[in-house]
Amino acid sequence: MMQKIKPLDHLILILGALFLIAPVVLAVMSSTHSAVWIHTNGIALLPGTDAYATYKKVLTARGGFTGDVTGARMILNSMIMGIGFAVGKIVLSMMAAYALVYFRFRLATLFFWMIFTTLLLPLEVRIMPSYQVMSELHLLNTYTGLIVPLLASATGTFYFRQFFKSVPDELLEAARIDGAGPVKFFFDILVPLSRTMMAAIFIIMFVYGWNQYLWPILMTTDEHFYTLMRGIKSILQVWVGSQIPDYNEAFALAVLAMIPPVFVVVVFQRMFIKGLTESDK
Amino acid sequence: MTHSPSSISRPLPVPPPLSARARLAKWWRGEATAPAKRVQFDRPLTPWVFLLPQLAVVVIFFYWPSVQAVTSSFYLEDPFGFSATFVGLDNYTDALSSGEYLSTATFTAGFALVVTALSLGLGLLLAVKADKVIRGASIYKTVLISVYAIAPPVAALIGMMLFDMHIGPFTQLAGLFGYDLKVGVNYWDTAFAMTLIAVWKQIPYNFIFFLSGLQSVPVSVREAALIDARTGWARFKDVILPLLAPTAFFLLIINITYALFDTFAIIDVIVKDKPANNPMTLVYKIYLDGFKGNDIGGSSAQSVILMVIVAALTVVQFRFLERRVHYG
Amino acid sequence: MFKSTTLAALALSFMAAPVLAQTDITWWHGMGGRNGEVINEISQKFNESQQACHLTPVSKGTYEEALASGIAAFRSGEQPNILQVFDAGAATIMAAKGATIAAEDLIKGQGERFDRKDFIDGVSHFYADSDGKFVGMPFNSSAPIMYFNTEAFEKAGVEPPKTWEEFETIAPKLKAAGYLPMTASQLTWMMVENFHSRNNQQFATNNNGYDAIKGTELTVNTPEQIMMFDKLKDWADKGWYGFYGAGWSDNLKPFEEGKVAMWIGSSGSFGGLQKSATAPFSAVFMPYWASLADHQMQSFIGGAALFAMAGKPDDQNKCTAQFFSFLTSPEIQVYWHENTGYVPVTTAAYELAKKQGYYEKNPVAEVGIKQLMLPGGEWTKGYRLGFYPQIRTIEEREFNKIFSGETTPKAAFETIETEGNALLARFAKTSS
Repeated sequence: MMQKIKPLDHLILILGALFLIAPVVLAVMSSTHSAVWIHTNGIALLPGTDAYATYKKVLTARGGFTGDVTGARMILNSMIMGIGFAVGKIVLSMMAAYALVYFRFRLATLFFWMIFTTLLLPLEVRIMPSYQVMSELHLLNTYTGLIVPLLASATGTFYFRQFFKSVPDELLEAARIDGAGPVKFFFDILVPLSRTMMAAIFIIMFVYGWNQYLWPILMTTDEHFYTLMRGIKSILQVWVGSQIPDYNEAFALAVLAMIPPVFVVVVFQRMFIKGLTESDK
Repeated sequence: MTHSPSSISRPLPVPPPLSARARLAKWWRGEATAPAKRVQFDRPLTPWVFLLPQLAVVVIFFYWPSVQAVTSSFYLEDPFGFSATFVGLDNYTDALSSGEYLSTATFTAGFALVVTALSLGLGLLLAVKADKVIRGASIYKTVLISVYAIAPPVAALIGMMLFDMHIGPFTQLAGLFGYDLKVGVNYWDTAFAMTLIAVWKQIPYNFIFFLSGLQSVPVSVREAALIDARTGWARFKDVILPLLAPTAFFLLIINITYALFDTFAIIDVIVKDKPANNPMTLVYKIYLDGFKGNDIGGSSAQSVILMVIVAALTVVQFRFLERRVHYG
Repeated sequence: MFKSTTLAALALSFMAAPVLAQTDITWWHGMGGRNGEVINEISQKFNESQQACHLTPVSKGTYEEALASGIAAFRSGEQPNILQVFDAGAATIMAAKGATIAAEDLIKGQGERFDRKDFIDGVSHFYADSDGKFVGMPFNSSAPIMYFNTEAFEKAGVEPPKTWEEFETIAPKLKAAGYLPMTASQLTWMMVENFHSRNNQQFATNNNGYDAIKGTELTVNTPEQIMMFDKLKDWADKGWYGFYGAGWSDNLKPFEEGKVAMWIGSSGSFGGLQKSATAPFSAVFMPYWASLADHQMQSFIGGAALFAMAGKPDDQNKCTAQFFSFLTSPEIQVYWHENTGYVPVTTAAYELAKKQGYYEKNPVAEVGIKQLMLPGGEWTKGYRLGFYPQIRTIEEREFNKIFSGETTPKAAFETIETEGNALLARFAKTSS
């Protein structure tokens, strides 16, 4: 494909990238200053001299009451939240979207609306009753309890429904001629076809699970479930005026917290490109 | 798996007016809406197997707690659960008759509109450009997407520091133009800061999905378009945009939900946890009354009102806007 | 489902750790940063001080998040033994009789020593019932005091004011010396709640809400309260007072930068100020009106208290009682005081800190305690108002409007009283 690329395109992209990335750069720069410096001067544009000490402390310090809350522990928990949530979401929502798009069955409309009304109410609004439900199911202080309730939303299902609906009907007809049943059609044709979509939704959902804060605080009483996000919030949350929050450590943790999601992005970019070539067969 | 060709093909008929009973019957059979596909499987059991996991999660973790939230909206309840007084619709009338609530609702609508339009527009623009370029494409993509990964409390902290009333760079910049920017004191200054941060945080999301939508446009289609094309804009408008419509419809609904619901953390940080006379959204008010103020009945009633509004909005979008979306 | 075998093994090894048959108790709190660490250290000290009990502190986010977690847990029977609740949320938990065991009953019931007179006067009423019985255990307490930039006062050749009348005479001189005379953080705490306490004014009917929940109404639409804000507005117009919204740090920042001569903040703020202030500073009591009170009164405390949750077995309650006693011991109080900036809650702890020479090194640290030890009056015990966090929100909204000129103090306090009383009436209905 030979499209003309104008310098203007690059200019727009560079401006857009700058607008979006500038705060990230500021976070990185700020993480190299001391807490008091940040408190006095505000956000930093240029690097400071305290990077080594701050990052060393953040990575190695053992926090919490038990002394077991290390950077590694927090990363592991955040990973479990991110991957567990993203995988769970993709599996559940692809299956449900498949049923809703490719089948005719009783009360399909009812179930369609039952699932899609869940777009409307975030967990925060029903968080107290949700806690009671989890307690009755004995799921407090478990990874299952941390992840599964978050799956009760239709974002993924909606997204895959949109994609499945735009898959050409000829594919199904051809598959049927080849003698493929619904299960075979799903796994052999739709799943590979959805690669780009899965990559996109994986990135979004991974970050969503990775960034959870309020639900884990409510749900767990055991320090071994501590996540990076709780670490960051707890640093920033000091009694106003009595002490200066360790801004530098919060920024450093935030910079570290970006690494895995960015890694996910880089890995899934390859799938973006693959998705592009494969859907072209 | 044994194979039996069992799909049915149904052209879209022009429906004659139906009796309520006949409508109900159609609904029961699953024929109420236009089918998602011209060709569908017609198996009694298989769809259930696919649908059941999601349905179970939704019923247990969404409907069960939501029913409790609706019930609480008719009570005035001591938060620890010792006593509850049934007050009928009082919680609803209390909320709806307060001028404060109505002005919050007005702001919420405007805020949702602006945030949705800006973040969708900019996300689409960047995605189209990133899809087009080859040189440096992956760098742009990584940069644009990775912003999404920044931890929300820190993103908010950065926003707060940029708009600091005394030393924030934006405040100083405005000062150069002779404007005294006071985020947290002046209503519209705060609204501006909230909108900017909310848009900034949502652009990468839209970018990712628009890009994945664009990348799944087959190369053959693009080449055909290129041959036909008169100008880049015409090519975009006539070929690419219709193909993006399903994604755009998805993003429209998601962005409205984002602006309405997911922005309360941003608001909380910008107003430094003290809303005072600053603008806020309806969900922030629910959070304020319910979570911070422990007024369970009042906040539940506000949740229900919000749910009804958004449900209506969504139904309207699905029923009317989606007709204009052309799938495959 | 998501637990790997290694994780399960890990969990097992943690469960197997305590060898002795100890009684485990938990403490949910809403503190982070250094304060959260000090809580861990104090819990560690408690566990080392005896064998029978093992206390685990759990950080539950902010004050609000901790209270919400405690409420959700209580409704499901999963409550901790001890819950930290902040000042504005006190009415919520104290109205729910049956959710807590009064600290005083708990401690005495377990045969531990308890004497109300051990506590600093200003601390001992806020979390007590109308008979003076301690329901919550005062833990982290603070007082609003006035910090001043010593350089500014030398330059202007004036002394820090004791009363607002004195403030009015020195403010022009400070302004002439090139300073903004005053800013104040959290006007709700300073100029409403503590205005009533420092000047001995009634804040609400039913004995400031202590005697009953039903029928309690705010008494803020008074000539005195309106005068305070008329003055503030007037001072703001004259350039004597700077209003920077409801955010705490926005009002503090210009003082740190050395542009402001006086800032009203918390007694605990000096630790942060020592690092961030660019000019030397000291502190005095928050001013009062000589025209309203013939002598100044103590202030209401800010901060939070610990509540013993009901529904726990007796052996655990015994441990909770032991911990409460441990927490009020002078050594622990001084450790807490010196590490966090909160005031000690007992006289013995204050004496110990004094003996150790802490106030010679940090004279500012003593100002808050002394203000809390001032004589008390009829209206200085505290207030017990339901849905008070929402009422504060209304106050903050109206204050913004006053200083932007959208409303007058008179109209603002009419609105605050009307809307506040509607909330109080709602609250009364929740606890019939």
